[in-house]
Amino acid sequence: MFEGCTIGNRIPFIEAASRKVFEKVGIETSQAPFSCCPDPTGIKSFDNNAWLTIGAMNLCLAEAEGKDIISLCNGCTNTLRGVQHQLKHDSLKKEKVNKELAKIGKEFKGTIDVKHFVDVLKEHLDKIKGSITKPLNGLKVACHPGCHYMRPAEWMESDDPMRPETLKKLVAASGATVVDYDELVLCCGSAVTNAYEEHGLANLKNKLDSIKKAGADVICVNCPACFQQFDTRQRDLSKKYETEYDIPVVYITELYALAMGYSADEIGLKFHRIRLKSILEKYGL
Amino acid sequence: MRKMSIDFEFRKLVMDYHQGSDLIKYCYQCSRCADNCPVTKVTTDFYGTTGYNPRANILKALLGYKDLIFTEDELIIWGCTVCDTCDEVCPQDIELTEIFTLLKNQSIEQGKGPEFIYSQAKAVFDSAKAIPSQSAIERRRQQMGLPAVAAPDINEVQTLLKNIGAAKKLK
Repeated sequence: MFEGCTIGNRIPFIEAASRKVFEKVGIETSQAPFSCCPDPTGIKSFDNNAWLTIGAMNLCLAEAEGKDIISLCNGCTNTLRGVQHQLKHDSLKKEKVNKELAKIGKEFKGTIDVKHFVDVLKEHLDKIKGSITKPLNGLKVACHPGCHYMRPAEWMESDDPMRPETLKKLVAASGATVVDYDELVLCCGSAVTNAYEEHGLANLKNKLDSIKKAGADVICVNCPACFQQFDTRQRDLSKKYETEYDIPVVYITELYALAMGYSADEIGLKFHRIRLKSILEKYGL
Repeated sequence: MRKMSIDFEFRKLVMDYHQGSDLIKYCYQCSRCADNCPVTKVTTDFYGTTGYNPRANILKALLGYKDLIFTEDELIIWGCTVCDTCDEVCPQDIELTEIFTLLKNQSIEQGKGPEFIYSQAKAVFDSAKAIPSQSAIERRRQQMGLPAVAAPDINEVQTLLKNIGAAKKLK
């Protein structure tokens, strides 16, 4: 399992909920000493060769164990699939990367697959439905699958890049109600907010206004960068635009953990910046 | 008046960026990329003369107008939020985001670019993670019954970054 830097070292409560759900539906994982994937919006912009080579190094670690990678993060999945795609389709690049990897005693072969956890959950929908003991009836959920889960479609090969459906199906399986909104595929703006806060918040406003208009109780995500963007920056947004933005954010695995009977305490929902308390009380969770 | 000179070396870099593909040549400036770009939407005026504009970047890049891309206004390059929407809507299948990666890499070569990119690169060099492990979070992991994060091999990551020439670009 590739938990990634953000979940592993900043918001581990998401990993806790994910592990509980995986256990319930029979997805077995193990750990490996992965480094940063590296970030497709960070290191890749810094030095594409560094991104390729370190990404390939991580793939080598999984290849050595002969196991596929299940990633908890859009960015990590995007990097690892992207690196794999480039190296498999460009023998010159592969040769160059392997020359570097040889210096640390590794070789990229391209023998394993990289999967986003949402796509793995999709394959276990029956098992998921069977494990749900407290259906989230009535809860209105706006889905945000995030850019790097499905784009570029050519090599992410997960969902429709402009009309994604998988996350909606997963949310519906929890018993909750999916609410549609205009800006479903709009980026959370995490990367541009890091560089230009003013523009990032203007984009976030477009996203959240659309979600608010749809009347959602919570935003459901499957990426830690999007999670952080929504959970930590709604306060900044409220200040800047003098309007209240405080829609709680949940990971799809947190939603499932609740529907499978785990308490808010067991999965550390108290660590969210935007409190879920009133929503949980409203729906008796 | 801005300089309008073609930098052939830069142009070759752009053209060669995708080995075996010259798709970028077939851009006919339809502007679907800019029309769908979330950052263009919040930074540009009606005529598209200010702010972030992916269409203009592709035009400048494929013509080799390096001076028009690398200006004091870094928003021209770093406004891109890497959402890959332009890649999907482009009728010519141009992988715009990959070209924008090249522009960003070039900007870093010149010692420019936003602070967060440098701090992340430094964190990866120092700890092999974009977000280094912290004792408070390690304790929280323990309290939640999670195993410790498997420690990456920092030496290997540093060796790679040094040999590739990425380490020397750190600030």
